[in-house]
Amino acid sequence: MPTQPPLPPLLAPYVSSLPHSSLTVLSSVLGATGNWLVLRFLYAALSSSSNSETAFGLNGSDGVKNRRVVLVSFLRGWEFWRSEAKRLGLDLARLTDKRQFAFIDGLSELFYNTTTATATPQQLFPGTAAPRTVLPVRSQPSPVPARTPHPVPRPGNVSTNPASREIGPVKRLHLSGNGTAALDALERDIATVIQQLKASTPGEAEEPEVLLIVDQPDLLLAATGPNKGIGATEMGDWVMGLQQNTHATILTLSSDSPLIHNASASAPHPATPLETEHAAFAIGSAHRAQMVMQLRNLETGAARDVSGVLRVSKGGAWGQNEVGTEGNWEEREVLYFVQRDGGVSVFGRGE
Amino acid sequence: MSFRKRNIGLSTGVDRASALNSTAQPQQAAAAPETNPGIRPSPDDGRPTTSTGSRSLDNLLAGHGGLPIGKTLLIEENGTTDFAGALLRYYAAEGVVQDQKVHVVGMPEQWGRSLPGLIGPADTADEKPAKRKGERMKIAWRYERLGEFGAGVAGSRAPVATTGDQASPAANGDQAQQPAFCHAFDLTKRLTHPSIANIHYIPLARTNEPLLISIHKRLQAAIAQSPPNTVHRIIIPSLLNPTLYSPEASQPETILPFLHSLKALMSAPSARVTAMITMPLSLFPRSSGLVRWVELLNDGVIELCPFPHSADALATSGAATAGEEPPQGVLKTHRLPVLHERGGGSDQNVGQDWAFTLSRRKFEIKPFSLPPAEGDKEAQEGAGPGGMPKKADLEF
Repeated sequence: MPTQPPLPPLLAPYVSSLPHSSLTVLSSVLGATGNWLVLRFLYAALSSSSNSETAFGLNGSDGVKNRRVVLVSFLRGWEFWRSEAKRLGLDLARLTDKRQFAFIDGLSELFYNTTTATATPQQLFPGTAAPRTVLPVRSQPSPVPARTPHPVPRPGNVSTNPASREIGPVKRLHLSGNGTAALDALERDIATVIQQLKASTPGEAEEPEVLLIVDQPDLLLAATGPNKGIGATEMGDWVMGLQQNTHATILTLSSDSPLIHNASASAPHPATPLETEHAAFAIGSAHRAQMVMQLRNLETGAARDVSGVLRVSKGGAWGQNEVGTEGNWEEREVLYFVQRDGGVSVFGRGE
Repeated sequence: MSFRKRNIGLSTGVDRASALNSTAQPQQAAAAPETNPGIRPSPDDGRPTTSTGSRSLDNLLAGHGGLPIGKTLLIEENGTTDFAGALLRYYAAEGVVQDQKVHVVGMPEQWGRSLPGLIGPADTADEKPAKRKGERMKIAWRYERLGEFGAGVAGSRAPVATTGDQASPAANGDQAQQPAFCHAFDLTKRLTHPSIANIHYIPLARTNEPLLISIHKRLQAAIAQSPPNTVHRIIIPSLLNPTLYSPEASQPETILPFLHSLKALMSAPSARVTAMITMPLSLFPRSSGLVRWVELLNDGVIELCPFPHSADALATSGAATAGEEPPQGVLKTHRLPVLHERGGGSDQNVGQDWAFTLSRRKFEIKPFSLPPAEGDKEAQEGAGPGGMPKKADLEF
């Protein structure tokens, strides 16, 4: 199998041009996780902008969109994303420094307050903490606090994570309280980071496009549930609230069969609230999405040269916008293979 | 083409920053593989790994030769047997022998006293290959005598055995130079080791805090208080088992935040923790959404399906010809650490059917193959010459 570029050609049309105010749902299962695809989205959004910058010294002078990415991850920490992106040639620490990328940590302190933790923030972000010594010039000239339209939440941000003042918007989410109030607090935190990212380059006529990737928000739903006043409806509203701040949004969700099919009326056992709410959230999101990318295992059993099947299909919201803005892609089912070195090849059946 | 060039230019321009990064990283990297015999870099990508205490399980873990630091392994077991408990004991004993800090959740000190006794570092494995080679000659002879009927089976089985043996002497060679990474243990003996008293037991005592939160706090405090280079092993036997855990622990809003926070605790780069969790599947079937979320929150998921006792006779007869111990169950790998986090695939171990055998001295995982059905005389006779007539019968 020949090696393919970081962005396999078969995949490129799906990940590179997301329509405005669109929602993309990326579903994965236990044995076919979607992290590699999230990384491809990151690559598509961030690598082109860095290329254009080296070419022209300016952003967006040649019709290349000024793109920023905010990644909210609930299941994986910064270390994972940083090291995996590095395999693709994407230096997330540097992009954070350049304020093109922001990572929001939904793993470290989401549920239990880890005030007793001795892990210092500097240790937690070695890649980003290091440039402090050499690049103070770069982060200072952007007078963020002065120009930010929301200066109020910023002190809170700084106090939770002292290092974040220096290394840009790295925010750790913490869920406290019940119901929509808790979700609203998370939404505010994320929105603050998005606004900071948008406002970080003053003097540009064009507002940068922010792509928001929310990695497994279904964890929030599963780990809280109706007992805590968070259900599928609240989660849907939450996602919609986040969408208002961004150019495009990508959700990754788990779509394992127990989480989707147990909720149906034909299931042999009565569904638990977890299953019902998860199914409602996942299916509801798919209905609101322009594009649904499903990852699953091979039905015929595991193979050595195939990692899984990727199916791209139109979501429930496809075709609602005017024709032409939604890109020209067609529904398709392809196989993919994640190599040991992190490269991915995407190919049709039989190719 | 020009993109490549520019990328190179870009990276050299930022070299100062990345050089600083790289100075920061080697410090971390240098801290990781210091002279700790219990930790070795993975042959796959160099990340630090530690042994699970049973070599064949180490070899199963996606080419890393051990459980990578910061990863959890969930072992699910069907039925009422306790094979997973044996794996946990090996894992704990390995931790004790390697002077790692072992945290046991929800088990009394009795549990720690019944850890399997140390045989030695891989010495049993050194003598085994030679012995096995002799046995394999016998196997081949036997199959030869069986004639053409057994030829296919022998052909398919022998190469598997040889590749397994070729791999293991290589691993032995590596280990002979270094201090032992993985040890062999004897389940019938009791482990006596000076550091066995250091096992940290976290009882499931009722406090005014919710149970799992207090467990998490104690784990966190213990890890925070220990010297920075300590390697920790967290052992959670029989998670959610109602005889140990209260019913509210198996509510999703209790158990999932706990596992999520455990993941957070372990993924902190300064921490050097591995964890092994077992779960009874008979009480919490894999088809339920809760169990699926528990699996999703773990880095590795392995399911043990022991054969029922009625299958013993069949299994023994199959293995008797091979001169090895009969498989006691089937092992399924649903998710492997690191490999599946990246997207899966490209591992020779994925998609294999595995059989496990727990003997006095080791937990062995081998490729599973159905034994030649000896007792099934009618089927064999019918299958031989009667292929075509059978078809005619069917058409009738």
